[in-house]
Amino acid sequence: MIKTTSQLISLHAKLEEEAAGKLRVLALHHTGAAEALNRLADENVQHRDTVTRVYREGVTDAFEVGYLSQPLNEGDYTVKELKGPLKEAIRTAILNEDAVIRFCLDASRDANQLIPSLPQTFQRLAKRKEKRKALLESLV
Amino acid sequence: MTSMVVLDEPIKGVVEVKNYIDGEWVESSSDEHRMAVNPATMKTLAKVPMGSAEDVKAAVDAARDAFPMWRRTTPLTRSRYFFRLKELLEQHFETVSRVCTMEHGKTIDESRGEVRRGIENAEVAAGIPSLMMGYNLEDISTGIDEILIKQPLGVFACIAPFNFPFMVPLWFMPTAVATGNTYVVKPSPWTPLSMVKLMELVDEAGFPPGVINMVHGDVEPVQAILEHPDVKGVSFVGSTKIGRDVIYKEAASRGKRVQAQCGAKNFLVVMPDADVDSTVPGLLSSFFGNAGQRCLAGANLVMVGDDKKFIDGVLNKIQKATQGIRVGYGLEEGVQMGPLQAVPRKNRVLGFIEEGVEEGAKLKLDGRKFDCEGYPRDCFLGPSIFHDVQPDMAIAKEEIFGPVMSVLHAQDLGEAIEMVNGSSYGNAASVFTGSGKTARRFQYEVECGNIGVNIGTAAPMAFFPFSGMKDSFFGDLHGQGRDAVDFFTEGKVVIQRWP
Repeated sequence: MIKTTSQLISLHAKLEEEAAGKLRVLALHHTGAAEALNRLADENVQHRDTVTRVYREGVTDAFEVGYLSQPLNEGDYTVKELKGPLKEAIRTAILNEDAVIRFCLDASRDANQLIPSLPQTFQRLAKRKEKRKALLESLV
Repeated sequence: MTSMVVLDEPIKGVVEVKNYIDGEWVESSSDEHRMAVNPATMKTLAKVPMGSAEDVKAAVDAARDAFPMWRRTTPLTRSRYFFRLKELLEQHFETVSRVCTMEHGKTIDESRGEVRRGIENAEVAAGIPSLMMGYNLEDISTGIDEILIKQPLGVFACIAPFNFPFMVPLWFMPTAVATGNTYVVKPSPWTPLSMVKLMELVDEAGFPPGVINMVHGDVEPVQAILEHPDVKGVSFVGSTKIGRDVIYKEAASRGKRVQAQCGAKNFLVVMPDADVDSTVPGLLSSFFGNAGQRCLAGANLVMVGDDKKFIDGVLNKIQKATQGIRVGYGLEEGVQMGPLQAVPRKNRVLGFIEEGVEEGAKLKLDGRKFDCEGYPRDCFLGPSIFHDVQPDMAIAKEEIFGPVMSVLHAQDLGEAIEMVNGSSYGNAASVFTGSGKTARRFQYEVECGNIGVNIGTAAPMAFFPFSGMKDSFFGDLHGQGRDAVDFFTEGKVVIQRWP
């Protein structure tokens, strides 16, 4: 279970890194879509860095930072391999986006009492990831 | 699984700790050493010299010699050193946080929070050109003007505690140095490495030699700081006994400025109209954060009123949530409470728990039985909760400095305030309520320096003073905020006429 802010941030970083890695591998196999896929992967890294920065700038021992009121289950958020032809792989990539969006929204809810700027950041990322889904769909 | 991730340890092997004097890393002249130990793993982290009067003399001499040049350095230039230091601290944020966890035992979230609050003090100091301004008035008499200017005094020193090894020296040093003074830090010999990391960054930031110095050690260097005629003032954080009977008395008797921030016994008062869902996390963090080893930690929980259903509901939620707190090595990301910092500290807490049982309080959760899987038991202790505690019991009066919650009852707010004010300490107190009237009365009548309203840990930020009253503070001006600027400067009045 995810019970601390540190775990929350680490899981987010892991999801973004995994999503980025899988998009880059897909880009290697589909040169026509490579530019867009690599750009999306770069964005994943940016999203990871944004959350880490907001956490580090907001974390304080002054208030309740270490305890999530409603622990999250790590197993609820997984990034899958992008296999098969491009169309199938893109469908999986969109499901991956959904998993990360779900995480961002859940994290946004549970981080509310921890660091005030974290929920807004997660919500903003969730919105951006919705737009990424449209871009992914346009690749097939 | 992320929940089991143990972060990389930045300290490998045993660090031979050195002093940092006049811009150089130098060996202590003392032959005595103590080993600093990771309280979770019990592995030795550092060989720490116990320090000597000779070490202090060298550091203070360097600081005194650097003072004339540093004082003439403009406030704007001095502030730029702190911008550079802040930038370096951001770059090394994670390393410093992990070092802090390794030597203290607190969780990584707590260490990062501590490092952030330290950095905030450097940020505030970077604003010194505004903070240090004096004031003036034209024509106090016809053609005569009066101005007040704030000037640095010389060498200041900090005697730091073990419980916030990174943050506490930064409550003082940045403001002292930014206002033009020079500085000597003496870290706790139990937790010296966070300050070693800071001094590495101070060195990298390029502070001129002698402006910031560090001497390690225990009793002898403290005594030497108190006795050295060139030390103009001392900032101390630690126990009331040492703060009042040694630091305050000895430094003040020699004409030094003193700010001694000392012990605490903090009351958290829960009114029947409190919002339970937001109150419980605040209570848990206050009582068990940093394993209870902080002067702002909750110690006594006062449940007010006779609504048994409400009181039982809150206490049951606390009990359940506390039982769910994961105790372990702070570098494991899922851990919510680390060990006590050292074996003697754990033994002290155990002594209080035994005393509480003997005095007739009901031990509803016994942290003594806790066994941390995979780690030696030496410093680990689970959270404990006592019910039916009476105000005259030792566990309600003495500072335990560990993860122990004592639950008391008061009939009404007046009785709760009497309990708070009956304590010899006056560091912090909080009230949880939905009523502004209750909150105002609490804030008005309670004799404590830091008041929380629906806040479990009333920790002042860098731009406010860290207040404290009664046996929790000795001196006049507190650390941080405008108090700190006044502590580290002398107000000089100039009255001038130009005929």
